[in-house]
Amino acid sequence: MVKIKKTRLKDFIDFVQQEYDVFAPTEVGKKTAFKKIDSAFEIIHDIVNTDRSPKEVFFPQSEVLFEYGKDGLKTPERKEKPIAVWGLRHCDTSSLTMLNKVFSDAHQMPDKDMFKDPYWKEKYDNSLIFNQACNTPLSTCFCHWFGRGPFDKTSSDIFVVDVDDVFLLEGISEKGKAFLAKYEKAEQATKEDEAKITELKRKAESFLAEKTDISELFEKIGKLWDEPIWEEISGKCVNCGACTFVCSTCHCFDVSDEGKKGKGKRIRLWDSCMFQLFTKEASGHNPRGISTQRVRQRFMHKYNYFMDNYGVHLCTGCGRCVQVCPVNLDVRELIKKVLDYKIS
Amino acid sequence: MQGKNIYKPLLFKLNKVETESPLIKTFFMTPEIPFDFKTGQFVEVTVDGVGEAPYTPSSSAWVKDKMEITIMKAGYVTQKMHELKGGKVLGIRGPFGRGYPLEKFHGKDVIILGGGVGIAPLRCLLLTMLQEEDKFKKIHICFGAKTPSDFIYKDWFKDLAAHKRVELLRTVDKADGDWKETEGVVTVLLDKLQVDFKEAVAVVCGPPIMMKFGTLRLLELGVQEENVYLSMEKNMSCGLGKCGHCAMGDYFVCKDGPVFTYNEIKNHPNIWM
Repeated sequence: MVKIKKTRLKDFIDFVQQEYDVFAPTEVGKKTAFKKIDSAFEIIHDIVNTDRSPKEVFFPQSEVLFEYGKDGLKTPERKEKPIAVWGLRHCDTSSLTMLNKVFSDAHQMPDKDMFKDPYWKEKYDNSLIFNQACNTPLSTCFCHWFGRGPFDKTSSDIFVVDVDDVFLLEGISEKGKAFLAKYEKAEQATKEDEAKITELKRKAESFLAEKTDISELFEKIGKLWDEPIWEEISGKCVNCGACTFVCSTCHCFDVSDEGKKGKGKRIRLWDSCMFQLFTKEASGHNPRGISTQRVRQRFMHKYNYFMDNYGVHLCTGCGRCVQVCPVNLDVRELIKKVLDYKIS
Repeated sequence: MQGKNIYKPLLFKLNKVETESPLIKTFFMTPEIPFDFKTGQFVEVTVDGVGEAPYTPSSSAWVKDKMEITIMKAGYVTQKMHELKGGKVLGIRGPFGRGYPLEKFHGKDVIILGGGVGIAPLRCLLLTMLQEEDKFKKIHICFGAKTPSDFIYKDWFKDLAAHKRVELLRTVDKADGDWKETEGVVTVLLDKLQVDFKEAVAVVCGPPIMMKFGTLRLLELGVQEENVYLSMEKNMSCGLGKCGHCAMGDYFVCKDGPVFTYNEIKNHPNIWM
């Protein structure tokens, strides 16, 4: 483990930038998001959850897949450096691993290459992930429900802890260790520095609200498809889709064309299962035409179907959906309702 | 770009367009390179500047250098498709999903139940099967349409009826003066079949309501659950099990289907929705 003085962070970020484009929590208008920064001074360090999730770094809200014109089809070539993301909390780091399953995992299909998304893979496979310990979890956080925690180090390249006037950095993956080894200006962390992590971790965990045991959630929710609980849960929902847009793991998209005849581009845009048109077929038939069906789909996908397909819940407990919901639907309350529900 | 680009279409030249009914046209195309697909799989067709939409070919899977797709004018892309004339270049992605496992149909009575424009993808299946007609015991075709004029491929039916291993039965919801075949919903045709249902395989393709009652009747008659093949329709977009539009429980119809056996999906809630 090494340490970098906060006053020397700019020098370190400059070093990272020699090899990578650095994305970090910063201000975008009145909101905060992970955006490409020019200098370390743009980083907001004390933010816990950015308003917008970091999924957009690797899976932009709108992405050109190719352009077409008289010369045929042209795939945009990525000329930028690989991506490094600084300041990810563990909830967000783990969300990227879930999205990676969707975009690069062939999931039991015979022709594996056919299912690898080149746009995602080119960015994510070459990235450097800095996973920063979360010193002050929010009241909306519930990562611990899923067996993770604010000081979890997994799924990252380099683990970062913000301690007093220094950042402590620990290489986790081989790639992360090799990268840190190249930065010669870092000092070795002392035993005292490392001891402070234990205290910070204890303090961070004390901020977390009471944990709900969700070990039965997968099985329980799987039995509730036909139950009236969904009407109760979806009653307030206005299907605005805000939860799906800020969600760090929601990844539904639409493939759409922009342009005129003979010239244009194909783009991939975020879409939302909360929208009525999402499933509407050309014939007019709509398998999820009413709100209750769509709310059920979202929860079933998060806490049952994704587990079935990939062995993990499609939720990290980041709490962004709790923060933005205009009618105060709290996913934690919904999970508790499901767990407490008596099947009729 | 790493590996192949799964979103990039192949170019197909549109040779001609034929009108089947006021709302249905067939598009005859030639691919830039031979295009291999299995019957039952679908493709995404791009009209430049408009967008793409999913269809199943209606020509034989044995033919690699030409393709036909029959399309009903229903939404935005199909409306633009219907305005096209020969000479235009279209984009095609695919083929996607699982098709029909024809080897499992060999030596058996095959019941093919279709309704409305669902007959278009079944034409692909039938043309593909008829190439090796002798491999099947008998092919029982039960097709339904709203009115006699709603039947597409009028000339093709004459060819079909001439095949020695084909039994062709048709019905309309509402007959007119000239109609001499059956009147009633498509399931009434099943009752006319002289088949050992327990040993037969059945294929169902059409509107959701027809698929539901068609399947239930087939099961009542004794067809085994694992021998009923359903071609599920959803609003497929990416074709790769990622974009979420066609999610049906833990399945994505685009990659896990669109052909499922009843056995595979019967425990999925509300498959007929």
